[in-house]
Amino acid sequence: MSIRAFVEHIYQEQIDALTTCNEFVAIEVGSASKGAYDAFLAGVIRTHLTSPQYLGFLFSVAPPAAKERIKHNMLEELGYEEEGGESHPDLLRKLAKGAGMEAQLPELERQAQDNLREAASGRLMYGTLKEAGLSAMVEINAFEYMLSRVASRVARALEAYRGLSADALLWFTHHSEVDIQHAEEGFQSIDDFVEYYEFTEDDAQTIVEMTLRENAFIKRYFGELSLGRAAGMLRDEA
Amino acid sequence: MRLESATAYALRIPFVEGFSHSTKSRTFSDAVVVKVRSTAGVDGFGEALPRPYVTGETVDTMLAHLKERLWPRVRGIDPGCAAENPSPEALLAFSEHVPAGEVERETTHNASRAALELALIDCWLRSAKLSTGAFLPPERGTVIYSGVITTGSVERTAKLARQMRLLGLTRLKIKVGAADDLERLRAVREVVGPEVSLRVDANGAWDPQQAVEKLRSMEPLGIAAAEQPIPRGDVRDLVKVSAESPIPIMVDESLISTADAESLISARACQYFNVRISKCGGLGPTIAIAKLALESGVGLQVGSQVGETAILSAAGRHVAAWLPDVAFVEGSFGKLLLSQDVSAEDISFGYGGEAPALKGVGFGVRVLEERLRRYATKVVEL
Repeated sequence: MSIRAFVEHIYQEQIDALTTCNEFVAIEVGSASKGAYDAFLAGVIRTHLTSPQYLGFLFSVAPPAAKERIKHNMLEELGYEEEGGESHPDLLRKLAKGAGMEAQLPELERQAQDNLREAASGRLMYGTLKEAGLSAMVEINAFEYMLSRVASRVARALEAYRGLSADALLWFTHHSEVDIQHAEEGFQSIDDFVEYYEFTEDDAQTIVEMTLRENAFIKRYFGELSLGRAAGMLRDEA
Repeated sequence: MRLESATAYALRIPFVEGFSHSTKSRTFSDAVVVKVRSTAGVDGFGEALPRPYVTGETVDTMLAHLKERLWPRVRGIDPGCAAENPSPEALLAFSEHVPAGEVERETTHNASRAALELALIDCWLRSAKLSTGAFLPPERGTVIYSGVITTGSVERTAKLARQMRLLGLTRLKIKVGAADDLERLRAVREVVGPEVSLRVDANGAWDPQQAVEKLRSMEPLGIAAAEQPIPRGDVRDLVKVSAESPIPIMVDESLISTADAESLISARACQYFNVRISKCGGLGPTIAIAKLALESGVGLQVGSQVGETAILSAAGRHVAAWLPDVAFVEGSFGKLLLSQDVSAEDISFGYGGEAPALKGVGFGVRVLEERLRRYATKVVEL
């Protein structure tokens, strides 16, 4: 059983919503203020600083068929996959420094850690870790899929309108290259996970829908109010 | 301590998904949060949500009533120390510092009263470093919440039922009042199986004759209770529906005061009360109505407001944990419904609808004022 088509369809809808929301368009065409660019960069940095830890969780519940793929992904995030490799959190720190946001880094690190703490402290929605694992896998792969299609567009905009150097933009350019492969592998890992843990198609699809109820891209990069506007949640009551 | 200042925040927090019933669709929380501050610098937070079809209130009438009528009658009072004689009766007595919800034409100002009363209670308890649980000792360590399935197509209803099943919820309420109610209920029953308790809520969508017919047709599906089948009105209509319905009747919109409770009990108009702090005018009136129900053998549901934040959910949690007998509990959707809540703690229930009795000071949640400011469409100094 493959749920790839089902998952990919929702991913694509969410990418369309991201790339057509007002805030993203302003970033891409250069009409955003410096404050808006910096807020976006802060959202990106805050969202992805703890990625290795989330991948660590995925690795811990990975089915045998997906274990090596997820391990490779996790080691790459940590910068251990090749000699002299840089961890992705370090690339994000380089991005912050390149954007002149070094002073904000401690606060962004704190917020990223707070988000992780909040995720770990909330009551578990599901009965077992296999559901939580599938949900985490679907969300992490969503970002990899999105970045593989959007990161180079963002990098071009940040270079053109925010004046960032190629070195500062390494996190974006790196993701636009490697995440095409990661996203492909991610779909295979999702299918492996569904099969290994014996999900019914119905339950697997329901978890995917619940995980992707909100557009996590807009929420994490631009905030809840931007998402509320983009999703039509802040219009006057019917 | 003396009450020195108060601020009202009219919020607009986007939902994760829209929520609909027979008369209303909502996509954001319209909660009004009141913050009071004592001369000792202790803050307390209360919350209520106006529902024009229940009490006649709107966000604007709440803000005006709080500023012009309620706060001037509370500012400067010294309610004494909460540490003396903690008991439900002491909480009821403290609640009386806030004037009863006034009735003006079609409006009963219960939500306004609730928001201010809760803020005062929170401040009073925080001043003494006490939890609400000291006054309402919990009968149970875990509260079991129900899921709610909003109106929508049969397919959407089945989809939501599958989500509820994965969340392990054992009690579900389904919003009804449309032509395809039966198909929707059959779809839910098919998804969740025979063990899950189902009840319906029509939000007054039917006339008495329709209600009886509809409820008779639903009976084979094993429906535990039917909430507000007909609009608030003549209690004799409810008596008729209740006598002829094979499904026990629960009142919601018909119950916003102790006078309503007494009238409904005396007429034997229903089998359940849905008590909700916001519509009932606060914790004090809610406790008073719940006591009347318990004394007369009427079952209780501790209900909630769609879009409530952690403040009102926490107050409801204390009532639900304290009551010796509670049939159903709703609320504490937290981040399951709100894109972001206003508290440091995640109030949402977890798998199986389970959530612990709260133990922290006041209502047991720490409100993040930065979030109140972020989501406020209006901020009014009272």
